[in-house]
Amino acid sequence: MIRRIPPKAYLTALAGAAALVAPLVMNDLTFLMRMVLAAIVVTGLSLLMGYAGQASLGHGAFVAAGALTVALGTTRMGLPPLAVLLAAPFVAGAFALVVGPPLLRLRGHYLAFGTLALLLIVQTAMSAFDALGGAFGISGIPPFGVGNSIFVGQLPYVYLALGCLGLVLVLTHRIVHSRFGRGVRAFAGSETAAGSAGVPVMRSKVAIFAISGMYAGLAGALSAFFTPYVSSDSFPAVESFTYVIMAVVGGLGTVWGGVAGAVLVSTLLQVLNTVSSQPGLPPTTGPIMQYATYGALLVLALLFMPRGVVPTLDGAFDRLAARRRAGEPA
Amino acid sequence: MLTIDRVSRRFGGVYANQDVTLEVAEGELRGIIGPNGAGKSTLFNLIAGHARPDSGAIRLKGRRIDRLPAHVRARLGIGIVFQGARTFAGMSLLENVMVGAHSRTRAGLVAAAVRPPSQRREERRIKSTAEECLERVGLLEWASRPADGLPLGQQRRLQVARALAGEPRLLLLDEPASGLRARERQDLAQLIRDLARSGVTVLLVEHDVGMVTSLSERITVLDLGRVIADGTPAEVTSDPAVVKAYLGTGADHAAHR
Repeated sequence: MIRRIPPKAYLTALAGAAALVAPLVMNDLTFLMRMVLAAIVVTGLSLLMGYAGQASLGHGAFVAAGALTVALGTTRMGLPPLAVLLAAPFVAGAFALVVGPPLLRLRGHYLAFGTLALLLIVQTAMSAFDALGGAFGISGIPPFGVGNSIFVGQLPYVYLALGCLGLVLVLTHRIVHSRFGRGVRAFAGSETAAGSAGVPVMRSKVAIFAISGMYAGLAGALSAFFTPYVSSDSFPAVESFTYVIMAVVGGLGTVWGGVAGAVLVSTLLQVLNTVSSQPGLPPTTGPIMQYATYGALLVLALLFMPRGVVPTLDGAFDRLAARRRAGEPA
Repeated sequence: MLTIDRVSRRFGGVYANQDVTLEVAEGELRGIIGPNGAGKSTLFNLIAGHARPDSGAIRLKGRRIDRLPAHVRARLGIGIVFQGARTFAGMSLLENVMVGAHSRTRAGLVAAAVRPPSQRREERRIKSTAEECLERVGLLEWASRPADGLPLGQQRRLQVARALAGEPRLLLLDEPASGLRARERQDLAQLIRDLARSGVTVLLVEHDVGMVTSLSERITVLDLGRVIADGTPAEVTSDPAVVKAYLGTGADHAAHR
């Protein structure tokens, strides 16, 4: 008997193929790189918001932690690029483990504001302390490389980031469909019932927060090599808000929602950017259109696709597949 | 098995439980009845770890448990079916029950990421346990349905299945029969009887007094947070204090309508 390949596997393969070809055909690699990095952060944020039911308006704090690990590790401590890239997610994760227990005692809006405050504190610390870059930031980050082979140009960074995104997606899929992941999804539904089923609620909450922080730290590390400059201005609050919008638009509670949201929102912003930089328009057009788009996007998403793009399409796809199966002769 | 020793719990200035003392033997099926607001659910929360007593001690097999978090008590063998809807939305019925096996399994975050053979074996075991438990409450055919918006009766049965997946030694049932139809009630009563016969200690809070008296060997009656009677079903139902407590609230109910 031939085992049938599930239709969704084709979609996954298609997305993978598109990701491999895109860097070769697109000429704006900076845009593509930013999109992939956002997808990594938003996948973690979607895991935190969609599966664990915990909000974060300040995920940039963990992106910063990863970026700082690379910047300080390479320029001040002279560590090899590969070592700092591998260490960055763990530094960001450790940071989340430290700030998580007090922060996660907060709920709903309070948690959202608490995480935003965390980002503001991180920004302030980065500009205030010279050890973290101070007013001038940290420049002179060497290009990424392993041994004697050193990255030249933007292309290898994009592929490295895509590889990391793939890893993050596989990891997320495995976490969601595991005993640990079920515990996380359970406490999002009822902390009381999850506790009585044997789920260590607080510990799991901090753990998933740390995982989400690790993803953000990984993205931050990649961005530090790519840019290659890190300062307190590298992680504006609006970027952290964008992550939330991407997560909501893409669809919470799905593995692919983060990627879909990052691609859609980034592309839209890029189009707007092109439009608003046409000659004859005032320089304020760009930011105004960006904020208007965020507002409109959230309202439209909540009105027409309250569950986000991926779950909506997924449902439509399932219905279509079911209809086709029903139409098939037995 | 379970010893509750002069336990009190206040909410604001009101005693939800006051000097409650209770001794339940291993394998016993104990009914707990009392009018609304008698403190039955609070007592369950104190035992399961969702509230802490202001004073007094709770022991399970001689071990003090009243300061332990809920998930540790689950591991010690305490299972609970809540009065309200406490199923996990966004998860299928099967996944809901699989969560119930949490206290009997161990794979963590690293195992989830690496997926060693031991983790895959455990996953298979969790799944088959969950399927068995769904079968026992008659929900197996709905296993892949989402748990959101389940009718009350099925929600109850789902909670029972989830509690069973944790292989409890002490099972707290807070009005498990509410919302069930007559036939479902009979099945549930039989299931409770089977569990007790297999050695599980059961505490049963139920408004259906007929069900409690037919199932329980002993019944404890609470009123206004205190134990007002304790004995066989026959003793308790003829106790003047119990009759007064029930008639009193009965009259109140009548007055409100």
